[in-house]
Amino acid sequence: MKTIKESARETKVCREADVVVVGGGPGGIGAAVSAARNGADTVLIERYGHLGGMGTGGLVTIIPLLTDIFGKQQIVSITQEWIDRLDAREAVDYPKKEHWGSADKDIVKYYFERSFFYTRLDRVIYAAIIDAEISKVILNEMVEEAGVKTYLHSWGTEPIMEGNTCKGVIFESKSGRQAVLGKVVIDSTGDGDLLPYAGIEFEDNIPPNFRIANLALCFWVDGVDVEKAEDFRKNNPEKFGELARKCMEAGGFPGFFRSLLKNQESIVWCHNRYPNKSQIDVEELTRVEFEGRKKMMITYDFWKKNLPGFEKSFIVLSCPQLGTRSSRRLIGEYKLTKKDLADNQPFEDTIAIFPDLDRGQESLDHPLMYIPYRSLLPKNVDNMFVACRAFSSDEHVQEWFNLIPHCIAFGEAAGTASAMALQAGVGIKDVDMKALQKKLASQGVPLPDVTKKVDYKYTGPPLVSTSPFTLH
Amino acid sequence: MPGKSSVRTITEQARQIKVCREADVVVVGGGPGGIGSAIAAARSGADTVLIERYGHLGGMATGGLVNIIPNLSDISGKQHLFGLNQEIIDRMDARGGASYPKKEHWGTTDKKLVNYYHDTGLDWFYIRHDYNIGKERVLYTAVVDPEIFKDELNDMVQEAGVDLWLHSWGTRPIMEGSTVKGVFFESKSGRQAILGKVVIDATGDGDIFVEAGAEFDGELDNKHRTAWLAFTFWLADVDIRKYDDFKATHAEKYEELMQELAKLGGYSHFFKGVLKNQHNVIWYHCFQPQPESSDAKDVRELTQVDIIGRKRALVTYEFMKKYVPGFENSFIMQTAPQLGLQGGRRVIGEYTLTDRDMESDEVHEDTIVVLANNDNGEISARHPTICVPYRCLVPKKVDGLLVACRAFSSSDSVNQHFNIIPHCIAYGQAAGTAAAMAVEAGIQPRKVDYKELHNNLVKQNVMLPGVK
Repeated sequence: MKTIKESARETKVCREADVVVVGGGPGGIGAAVSAARNGADTVLIERYGHLGGMGTGGLVTIIPLLTDIFGKQQIVSITQEWIDRLDAREAVDYPKKEHWGSADKDIVKYYFERSFFYTRLDRVIYAAIIDAEISKVILNEMVEEAGVKTYLHSWGTEPIMEGNTCKGVIFESKSGRQAVLGKVVIDSTGDGDLLPYAGIEFEDNIPPNFRIANLALCFWVDGVDVEKAEDFRKNNPEKFGELARKCMEAGGFPGFFRSLLKNQESIVWCHNRYPNKSQIDVEELTRVEFEGRKKMMITYDFWKKNLPGFEKSFIVLSCPQLGTRSSRRLIGEYKLTKKDLADNQPFEDTIAIFPDLDRGQESLDHPLMYIPYRSLLPKNVDNMFVACRAFSSDEHVQEWFNLIPHCIAFGEAAGTASAMALQAGVGIKDVDMKALQKKLASQGVPLPDVTKKVDYKYTGPPLVSTSPFTLH
Repeated sequence: MPGKSSVRTITEQARQIKVCREADVVVVGGGPGGIGSAIAAARSGADTVLIERYGHLGGMATGGLVNIIPNLSDISGKQHLFGLNQEIIDRMDARGGASYPKKEHWGTTDKKLVNYYHDTGLDWFYIRHDYNIGKERVLYTAVVDPEIFKDELNDMVQEAGVDLWLHSWGTRPIMEGSTVKGVFFESKSGRQAILGKVVIDATGDGDIFVEAGAEFDGELDNKHRTAWLAFTFWLADVDIRKYDDFKATHAEKYEELMQELAKLGGYSHFFKGVLKNQHNVIWYHCFQPQPESSDAKDVRELTQVDIIGRKRALVTYEFMKKYVPGFENSFIMQTAPQLGLQGGRRVIGEYTLTDRDMESDEVHEDTIVVLANNDNGEISARHPTICVPYRCLVPKKVDGLLVACRAFSSSDSVNQHFNIIPHCIAYGQAAGTAAAMAVEAGIQPRKVDYKELHNNLVKQNVMLPGVK
């Protein structure tokens, strides 16, 4: 490998803070808001000009999987706050609360037809479709109100290491290369960008047939007569199937979601999958951008020409952020594995509960996934969290539990723990677990009684609908 | 736990950085300047790498939602910008992604046509007052669909054989004495280096030439357009006809409402989307007033502008929706992924374009483009064009480097008129061509033979009449 020597340099320290959060996606928002609300002087560094990551810039405008099979909401707190704030602006859609968990055939059918995200395992679940643009404003408001110092248009690239301690982060921006120092650093980059430089152990194997092995270049088409398109799809299944096949043969994507948001009746979304060698290889990212844009045009041209309802449509926008699903994964103090997918017992250091809904019968037998605090902690660095999809998990756990609400929950635990550790003058690995859990519960995070053994066996009716769903 | 501001520094140790590529020409930035540069260099036979920070090409024209290529003709309607500019418009036209006044309308004084363009709100881009005849006339200005444009630019660089690196932020020159030898860049693959025989700074802000040691001027006069930042967003599903009716029949009420909106911090002015199938789309280009000390390169300020811009976009949207007929079903369809920067650092080159040049008829022997001089009222009437010399792209002291973007060598007052999309494409076309020539001849870009450069540009359909 050819290298070039980059000479030593003095880099300006533009700020010193308690907590430095790198990345303003769901993980980073959860982390920064929680740390700041709990009294830490918090800096948030975001590469783009907006917050929300995949939830906004990636056009993955869905916060899914919030209730369990019993209809109980398990992901609440900051996720719910985001949804509530959208609700106040009429910028969100979700199944009615009284229908969460319903197995009533008619109700399930209604929601199944309404959105792919609204039913699982023969039941209605709570999932929210969100407005991307309004979300960007709301997330700005949330970090601003919490007192977070945000740096937009800033790409946090490297940790500043001193032995086993991370002293801060180097970032690039139009102001040049600068450093922010911090007592706790939270990697919410999605890809664990700080890990290799910090000498932290990670893995990045992904089986090619997994959802997370794919990149996405989501785009929206406006000016669609959606009713007309849906009627056609419903009433001419054979013809539609034929068209779908032709569209694929031409290199396009036949599937689309309708936007359920108020005033966006004329919009459909195309979510898609692009196999790749690695989601952190810049050559692959470039290749998929090219391929994605090409296929977007093929898809759009095909729809417009052949599909009733698309005659006057146009591409509103393609995602400003390429849709990444997984790359590096921390090998942390505890690694969640396949074994945990079948275990119904909570961890002593549980910091979040995720509904398990995408794995058919296995999900019925194992409806809740418990997340231990240790899965956010690197082994050999003392003051860093990984609070994003790069949390410590094997590819199986990663496949199902690396979505937007999950990352917000990782962030909330990491941010809250950071502030508490600093307040108590202890390391983040020595934080009082009972106190942290109490604090999280007071913020609205549902947590289990870790002293009780769970005795659970699924006794309901056998599963009818085909699962798992793996489209998103 | 209050934060402290600080002027302290930390030491980053020397280290080895992976060289992932060696090329003839390395272009940093995939906006209009970078596109022109990369395509021209590659077509001229140079092994060319283009590094772009975002996932798409086009800069302000796509990601900035400033999807307008104006001032292609002078006020009389005579087209001056050809070359890559015209090629791009032709290719976009073939895909139904461009809109512009018919050729026979360029320069027209026809009231109906002039009024049509006034009514779109896009008057600044389409209409100029001709002091020679005392009438308003229509310019040749093109509007492009940003999404189709992104794909088309991908096609163009790919066809030219450019090696494109997206999601890659070129940040620092690699220096050997006062010669640039390549750049360091950041990406998800980590910090890497690309070496090149000529580097073209097309970052818009001159991000590369600062550390290369080039002299530059960063002064911005608040009275100039260049000192302002823009937060751009689009609304869709606006019933324009209903809005027009309301405005026509309730002029006073409308005026009142707009004053109310302005008081709330919203924006009253918008452009009507003129693209095919986008008749229910409107564009807001919102200038952010800046304090005297404004610095578009200060990341704290960029952050503030973004946060305030987003807030004001929402205020505008919610107000229009609530009070203005035609907006009932509208929604914010997108905000620009890239903040609208309009000016910043300008390199001090071998020649600096100043106010004097706007009133001069001098034709430089190294003229690389003739630009329509449309924005200077009576001066424009006397001097409908301005010649830009190659030397404006060549930094005074640094070798191995050309500057092909709005940071070209010019005074602030000139820069504000000649730093927009078609201009940058033209600067790029010249820089890329010259860079390939320098590589081929094994000389520094400043030594490139002007006559030969001229001939090569003319071959690429760049119109350089009167240049000897």
